[in-house]
Parts: sequence; structure tokens; C-alpha cells
Amino acid sequence: MNQAPVSCIPAGKMSKAKKVLDEAREIQNPELDLADKSISTFEEMPGLLNMINITRLTLSHNKIQAVPPGLANLVNLEILNLFNNHITELPISLSQMPKLRILNVGMNKLDVLPRGFGAFPVLEVLDLTYNNLSEKNLPGNFFMMETLRALYLADNDFEYLPPEIGQLKNLQILVLRENDLIELPKEIGELTRLRELHIQGNRLTVLPPEIGNLDLVSNKAVFRMEFNPWVTPIGDQLQVGISHVIDYIRSETYRYVYNRHQSAKGPPPPIENDKSKKISRVR
Amino acid sequence: MPGVTEMSLDNMFCSRCREGFVPHEKIVNSNGELWHPQCFVCAQCFRPFPDGIFYEFEGYKYCEHDFHVLFAPCCEKCGEFVIGRVIKAMNANWHPGCFRCEECNGELADAGFIKCQGRALCHTCNARVKAGVLGKYICHQCHGVIDDKPLRFRGELYHPYHFNCTACGIELNSDAREVNSRPGYAANEMNELYCLRCHDKMGIPICGACRRPIEERVVTALGKHWHVEHFVCAKCEKPFLGHRHYEKKGLAYCETHYHQLFGNLCFVCNQVISGDVFTALNKAWCVHHFACAFCDQKMNQKTKFFEFDLKPACKKCYDKFPQELKKRMRRMYDLNPKRIPV
Repeated sequence: MNQAPVSCIPAGKMSKAKKVLDEAREIQNPELDLADKSISTFEEMPGLLNMINITRLTLSHNKIQAVPPGLANLVNLEILNLFNNHITELPISLSQMPKLRILNVGMNKLDVLPRGFGAFPVLEVLDLTYNNLSEKNLPGNFFMMETLRALYLADNDFEYLPPEIGQLKNLQILVLRENDLIELPKEIGELTRLRELHIQGNRLTVLPPEIGNLDLVSNKAVFRMEFNPWVTPIGDQLQVGISHVIDYIRSETYRYVYNRHQSAKGPPPPIENDKSKKISRVR
Repeated sequence: MPGVTEMSLDNMFCSRCREGFVPHEKIVNSNGELWHPQCFVCAQCFRPFPDGIFYEFEGYKYCEHDFHVLFAPCCEKCGEFVIGRVIKAMNANWHPGCFRCEECNGELADAGFIKCQGRALCHTCNARVKAGVLGKYICHQCHGVIDDKPLRFRGELYHPYHFNCTACGIELNSDAREVNSRPGYAANEMNELYCLRCHDKMGIPICGACRRPIEERVVTALGKHWHVEHFVCAKCEKPFLGHRHYEKKGLAYCETHYHQLFGNLCFVCNQVISGDVFTALNKAWCVHHFACAFCDQKMNQKTKFFEFDLKPACKKCYDKFPQELKKRMRRMYDLNPKRIPV
């Protein structure tokens, strides 16, 4: 009977990832597809950090827990996809990657982002969907990523969106679905290029009137706001359609309703989303 | 012929000496007049005509040399006899080729000349000399000094009052406009003059940006005319200068800003999509980058995918989503897999 050689890493797995790497090296392929390869650590991908020519690295659907700081050696990387892993922390070095445009760390176990994380020079799309992030554990420079086109924060734990969001002048897509948002800052009205806004499944009761400055009702725009405990007039307008909500938000009547609501602020609505079963919480 | 048969020696005599002719004597006949050969000679030198060529003047015949000496004009410039066309000017005779402008040496015979301080000058040199003296222009029509502003027409300067408006006939002033009636042609011989009022009213294109008439190249777009340098992108305001422009709602845009504003930038590479476009989920992708947002596997127009926060998820990825998430998604959305319209 032939016995497989003894190793701390199962041989079958190692050869799987290694094969992809060897192949890529051989044909000089700058795009690495390593999705769903049961990879737990970067050690299973020998030589990866020396392949400085690669422009895309896809590691989704693995079991990676830690990202080595040396990943930032891949100075030509433009797309890094770490979706659906077990990552709890990211190295600060990632934010120094000179060409990184798209970073997907969705569906991981991030409780916090490192200090200085907002230093990315050219980041355009940042996907942090389905983690355990809130305004309390964002780094101070998070909203200085002026090149950002899309920010995905759905399925996290935000109760307030920092007013600095207004600094993301290039933002076209903002997804805040199913957080615990109690209110939105008026600075959201400064995101003049926004054409996708998802705020459904939060604890919002009113919208800042400044949101009326945005073009969210054209055929090039999407605005999702269902499943919030809206005040009655907004809820009524929503029944007939988003465009009616926006018309109403822009009216003098609403400005009055909003001011009155802000001055007589009651306790925030209770949290309805049950997050206990989220896999990002499983330790 | 009766005249010939009636002719006899008795009634024939020499035109010069009036003597008759001896039978069989040689007779010279010239234009019906008869001569003794010794009598058919030059009236000046009494010698026979060389080669039989003679010049007749007031009934007398002269040899070529004596005729020139007696009657032909001498060219003021070269001193030779002037045969053929004689230019009489400046109290003298000239060969046409010898009568030239004393400034520029151009021939004056057909162009005409102007006497200027005892010199014969062409119009141009005369105007220049006079202007140089006076610091003023000389009218190309009346050759008088132009005291006020001159009117430029087909390359020359004039008193404006020599002309009338081509449209309304009013006498022109220096505000008059010269119109190139054949846009695109540099030649000005077809140009016409209009008074300012008619000029502004007639079909001269008006620039849609600056509202001023367009005298040079005209760009026609969006149903309006534009100065080349005024036809610009509505966003960045850079002139197209012949580059492609894109129209939207009565405005023109450069390629970059049209796509930036109206959405045909690829969601992944953020570049203008020149070839086929995948459009779905409020986004567009170029053929290279239409892929699952979660595993980056390429998709095509036949691939079924799920929508997750308006990102495309392939079936394999969607199946890997945690149960609790799918339960929430089902609660919130209608989850029919959709085909991509291409």
C-alpha cells in the first residue's frame, strides 16, 4: 500500500494551489484565480509574494485567517478579492499598495480596520460587506479615500454614519443595507455623483432634507429605503413610490416636519435585525 | 476683260515722269499705277527699293530706312524706332516693353500709370509713395488721399463712399463688412460689401456660444453654428477641434465626460467602453470585465446570476452564502435569477 508523504499541510490541498501558481508563472498570467481552494494560510502558496507581475489575486471562499503584510509586495496588484474568508485583521501595509483599485474583504470577521487604513492612493471600490464594523472602529482617515467610487458597508453594525462621508466626492455607490443606522448625516447631500444608495433594513425614521439635492430618481439611479421605521408621511409616500418620497423630501412641508422631529427627538427605535446567526460572529 | 483689251501703249504713261512707254520696254505696275523701272525709286534717296519693299505716306513712296528716318517715332528709353504699337505718354514715344514704372519696373502699357512728381508710376507704387509721404492711404479707385478710416475690399484700400451696400444700396462707411461669399476659398475676387446693419441681418452664421458672426471656419452641430474654438465640451469646456463629440439633451460632450456623466464606463476598469457593453444592475461592463463580483469568474450574456446589493453573483457563489443571509435576502427581495440584456 502506498502511503502519501507526511506533511503538516494535506498534500492534495497544497498541490491544488501550487498548481495554479506554477501554471501562472509558466504562462506569465497576471491574473491569479485561487477561489475555493480550501486555503487556510498564505504558506500554502509558496512564492506568491514574489510574483510581482500579477494584477489580480482572487482568494474568495477560502479559510484564510491572517493576511501577511508582505502581500503589499505585489506592487502591480489592482484587484484583490478576499471575499468569504475568516479574516479578523488586515495589515496596514495594504493601504500603501500603489495600484490597488478594487479591494473586496466582504464576508469576513473584521471587527476593526487598522489605524491609517484610509491611505490607499487609488482605491476605487471597497467592499466591506458582512463584517462586524461600526463607526466606532473606523480609522480616523477612513473618509480621505477621495478616489473611492463605491463603498459597500451592508450587513455591518453602524448606528451613525460619520459626517465625513461628505468628503468622498467621487462616490457613486453607497450601500448601508441592514446596519443599525439611527440617522443619516446631512453631509450625504454633498455626494453629488451618488447614483446608488441602499439604506434598507435600518432603524431610520427621517431623512435629512439635503438628500433632496441628489439625483436618486432618474433612470440611472437606484434608491432602496424599505424596511425602516419611517415617520408616517415618509412611509405613506414610500407606498406610492420612491419618486414621491423624493418630491416630498424636497417640499417645505417636509422641512417643517423634519425640524420638529429633530427637536422632539425620542429614543431611537429598537434593533430589529437579529445578527446572532451571522457567520462573521462565529469564533 | 474689256479694260485690258482696250489698253494700248498710246494712252499709258509713267506715274513719275509722265513720259510714255516704248514698245517692249519693261513696265512696273504697282496698284494699277505704271512706272519706268528707273522711275520706281524712293522719293527721298532716289534709289530702288531694297527687296521691293516700300512705305507709302501722303502719296509718296519711301524705302524702309528713309521712311523710319522721316516719320517713325523713336523710343524715349532705348532710342530705337518704334515699329507696331507705340505708347505715347509723358510727352514721348515708347515701346510697350520700355514704358515701365520707375519704382517697381512693372510694365505700365496696359495697367495704366499715374504721373507723380514727373515720374510715371503704377497705381500701387503711387499709393505707397503718397502714403509714405503723407502717412495716409491712397484710394485705389480715385487715387485721392483717404483722410478717415479706409475700407478694405478685395485686398485694396478705398474711400468707403465709393461703394454701396450689396443688400440695401446705402452708401457705405468704414463700418462696412467684406463678406467672403464662398466660404472655404481664400480667393477674394468674389467678395462683396455690406453695411453693418445688413451684414448682421443676413445669413452670416452667428456663433451659438459667443453670439458673434463667424467669419472663418464654421462648425455646425446641435442645430447651431459655432466658431471652431467655441464648440466645446459642456463639462470640461475644451474645444473638440475636430475630435468626436457626443450629444445629449442639446449639449455636446467629449468622450470622457460623456461616458463619465452618462454611464458607459466599465464598473471594473472605469474605462470608456468602446466595444460591446454588458448592462445590468444599474452598471455597465466591458467584455473583459463582466464577472462575478465574488469569485471574479467571467460571465457572458447567457450566464445566470443573482443580484446582491446590485452586484452580480454567480450561482456557485450565491450557493456559498450563509443560510441566514439568504433567508434575509429572500425576505427582502424577489430572487428570480435574471438574464442579462446585452
